[in-house]
Amino acid sequence: MVKGIIAKSLRDALELRKDSTFVPYIGGTDLMVEADENKSYLFLHQVPEMKNIAEDEEFIRFGAACTFTEIIKNPLSPMILKQACRQIGAPAVRNMGSIGGNIGNGSAKADSALICMVTDSKLRLASADSERIVPIKDFYLGRKKLNLNPDELIIEILMPKHGLENYYHEKVGARKALAISRVSFAGIMDIKNGVIQNNATAFGAVSDVIIRLDTIDNMLIGKTIEEAKKLRGDYIQAIGDAIVPTRGRVGIEYRKDVCINLLKSFLEVSGI
Amino acid sequence: MKAISKSVPKRDHAAKISGSAVYVGDHPTDDLLFGRMLRSTKARARVLGVKLPVLPEGYFFIDKNDVPGDNEVHIILDDNPVFVEEIAEHIGDVIGVLAGTDEREVNILLKQIEVDYEELEPVFDPRKSDVAFFDFGYEKGDAEKAFAEADKIYEEDFETGLQEHMYLETNGIIAEFKDGKMYVRGSLQCPYFVHRAVMKATGLSSENVSVTQDVIGGAFGGKEDFPSILGCQVAVAAYKTKKPVRVVFDRHEDIEGTSKRHPSFCNYKAAVKDGQVTALEIDVLYDAGAYATMSMVVLQRGIIGCGGVYNVPNLKVRGQARKTNTVPNGAFRGFGGPQVFFAIEMLMTHIAKDLQMDSVDFKLKHVAKHNDLTSTSGRFHFPVPIPAMVKDITEASGYYSKKEAYKNQSGRFRRGIGLAAVYHGAGFTGNGERDLIKAVVQLRKDRDDNVEILTAITEMGQGVNTAFIKIVAQELGLPPERVILVPPDTARVPDSGPTVASRSVMTVGELLRRAAIRLKAEWRDGEEQLIEEHYKHPEYMIPFEMPAFRGDAYPTYSWAVNAVEVEIDTYTGFIDILGAWGSFDAGTPIDENIVIGQMEGGFLQSIGYAMMEKMTADKGYIRNNNFSDYIIPTAVDVPNMQVKLHVEDFPLGPYGAKGAGELPHVGGAPAVAEAIQNALGVNLHKIPFLAEDVMDVLRRKGGI
Ligand SMILES: Cc1cc2nc3c(=O)[nH]c(=O)nc-3n(C[C@H](O)[C@H](O)[C@H](O)COP(=O)(O)OP(=O)(O)OC[C@H]3O[C@@H](n4cnc5c(N)ncnc54)[C@H](O)[C@@H]3O)c2cc1C
Repeated sequence: MVKGIIAKSLRDALELRKDSTFVPYIGGTDLMVEADENKSYLFLHQVPEMKNIAEDEEFIRFGAACTFTEIIKNPLSPMILKQACRQIGAPAVRNMGSIGGNIGNGSAKADSALICMVTDSKLRLASADSERIVPIKDFYLGRKKLNLNPDELIIEILMPKHGLENYYHEKVGARKALAISRVSFAGIMDIKNGVIQNNATAFGAVSDVIIRLDTIDNMLIGKTIEEAKKLRGDYIQAIGDAIVPTRGRVGIEYRKDVCINLLKSFLEVSGI
Repeated sequence: MKAISKSVPKRDHAAKISGSAVYVGDHPTDDLLFGRMLRSTKARARVLGVKLPVLPEGYFFIDKNDVPGDNEVHIILDDNPVFVEEIAEHIGDVIGVLAGTDEREVNILLKQIEVDYEELEPVFDPRKSDVAFFDFGYEKGDAEKAFAEADKIYEEDFETGLQEHMYLETNGIIAEFKDGKMYVRGSLQCPYFVHRAVMKATGLSSENVSVTQDVIGGAFGGKEDFPSILGCQVAVAAYKTKKPVRVVFDRHEDIEGTSKRHPSFCNYKAAVKDGQVTALEIDVLYDAGAYATMSMVVLQRGIIGCGGVYNVPNLKVRGQARKTNTVPNGAFRGFGGPQVFFAIEMLMTHIAKDLQMDSVDFKLKHVAKHNDLTSTSGRFHFPVPIPAMVKDITEASGYYSKKEAYKNQSGRFRRGIGLAAVYHGAGFTGNGERDLIKAVVQLRKDRDDNVEILTAITEMGQGVNTAFIKIVAQELGLPPERVILVPPDTARVPDSGPTVASRSVMTVGELLRRAAIRLKAEWRDGEEQLIEEHYKHPEYMIPFEMPAFRGDAYPTYSWAVNAVEVEIDTYTGFIDILGAWGSFDAGTPIDENIVIGQMEGGFLQSIGYAMMEKMTADKGYIRNNNFSDYIIPTAVDVPNMQVKLHVEDFPLGPYGAKGAGELPHVGGAPAVAEAIQNALGVNLHKIPFLAEDVMDVLRRKGGI
């Protein structure tokens, strides 16, 4: 029989999480695809502390149990995140699916996680007796391998709030709606006074984890547009060399070509 | 528009929308055994033994040794065994059924069964198979001479892929053996197909078998031949266990274990003289899968239609359906037509391009006319409305100006437009209706003067019940509420043939109309009356000779012209459908909304077939066995679809109606393919053509 407990507070949730046989469950839109009758579930959708969207000086803070619909509707949500969330699933999936679940499923195809990656968001992870903040890039260790202890939950996503205005996002699915990403790309280019302050890219659905090549992206930071133009070829080459698609349903060559095309398109609209 | 065409709410609507409709999976399960199939995990292997775990009481394993009649499923060659006799011929071939009272327990026990195999060499590529289940050929005129005299000869190969029906409700059957009688019910298009198959497998006489249709959640041909197989398996299980047994597939099992559209490999040679195609030599190869099932008739329709809507005076055609060790392919809306219409339509565009003509103008030069000979030297006895429909659709879609505008494009997005003209032969091929089906219908009037329609035709969402009720009500001058129509049970209804071949309204509907006219003439208030009507073969038809393939293959034809406009993203390969325009002639619509619904749905399915739906069997194993990996189009993908009806009355159909159901699934694919080829500036030879294929083309061309 399926067992489930509905946590009503964060303390409640973390206490229950000590029993690691409970599988954390927010919207269930991933979990219920392969529902397992022998598992027990810890329902988190009513934990008030995980439903907030708030901001501080540095971050917009999304409770892990916020649904995509809630994120899309909230004026605090940055446009890049809204755009990605709007392209998830169908209305029912957006109403139930959550940003926390999207990250927690560990998939490189997760569309809101892509935005968390490109924005270098941080995750607040907590257990009953400790708490830590982890850059999302360090959260993904490998294919379906997460930097998450058995007694921990993802509580909150901290998304930097500045410098996200110039963004680029494209999701390539097999059809226009209800489509899992075959390739997805997000880029952020922050240029002030002709100098690149930030250049960040992320590639989804290509490898075991979302690809975030920050050291290569940094090539362009601190450069003027003119300097960046000169580096363009080397930069694209370096990214291209670093992207090694894993085998999957969608062809390797295809995904690589699309990544590079979208990267070029991102540079082009950024004036580089 | 005729009065009969005025749309009414569908008879089956309320029950389906409210959720009160009872599907095979909805029947009470208290006293039922749940069955699960033990399937071969090898593509070709001798089954040496089956080692069962200890089965608790109330659990049974049923296999070939339990078949009371013949271990053969009656479908044409009867070569599909009920249960593997000795050699499993495909992954998923059914070795036996495990049935028991608790569904979960059955699943656990099933996993514990060990099968001992001796693996044999399978064949997956029909081009390498040396077993041809069927090998047909025919000629018209003198193709050899025409080729000898040609200015230019074109030769091209075309390929089409598997297509899965993706009906929402999976296949399912319940069987019960009680007091010497076998009761079978479930999601099935053709009660009498199942009836005869179950008779053969159980050895029971006709009176002792009854087959009832449950509400069907979609079929598209996927419940035409397949339920005969499942029906026999479940009936044998019920026979052995003496309990009602139910098997309802989950999605994975349904996709892996049931029929699909035949993949095709066609070779076309065309002789062109003075800008006109004078001869075609065509070699058609269909991948039948492991057993012959319906392939004979699918192939026949394919080779009859392989010359398209064109009057080509000289033809030489050969067609084969070869065996491979994959799940048997079967009936699917269009039934062998979509593959060859894709090929001929592409070939015509390629020749036109080479001759520097617009493809539509080139096609129009070749379109057959009223009274012309058909491919099989029959006649187009009725007007061929293609030119008028082409005019409509070129105007509606802005075809010519778009084609011109898309000649010079630059930038990320490239557009293209394509147009296809096709037909679907209405009803059974050849003399099937006369010699095999011999359809019978009845109208039964009760003492309250309500009239019940008794036919074997099944409602599967396509609207046939509503159409039948409208026809009978109109002729009798009765309000439709007084006309009763319940799902058929072979114990109650005469054999009016299967619900296939776009024949139901045209053929059976006309029988009902005639029965209603007679009932009206003989009407006696307050008395029970029974009127029976039998099929009559149209007298004008030129008898169809087999195996020569000569004569009228169909009593008449339904016609379609489809245009599709695409926009291709050269960065991602994504193919966006900007617009889809269709003109369809299925004769008089018995209900306008229903026919338009059929046209829209089929058109969308045909578009998906061309640019989205890709099913690959990896060494005989189908991996994309669910809705997230097998992508079908949604309404969002083709938001701009414009469908109109062109009406050429068929004098022998009720009020002029002819075949509708399959027509829309023929022309969408070649229209999409031509649009893609127009956008990319290359010739296309295969579908499905997906984003990856776009990128392959661009890579080969070094950009565009
Ligand atoms: C029809 C359909 C379409 C879809 N389309 C898309 C799409 O377009 N794009 C996309 O990205 N996804 C899509 N998905 C996948 C899914 O909807 C998303 O991944 C969604 O974000 C999952 O959120 P959830 O709340 O439903 O997660 P759940 O199913 O509840 O959980 C997902 C995983 O995260 C774990 N988890 C949940 N909460 C926590 C927590 N607090 N801490 C740690 N781990 C946790 C769970 O144990 C589980 O492993 C689709 C799914 C369906 C069924």
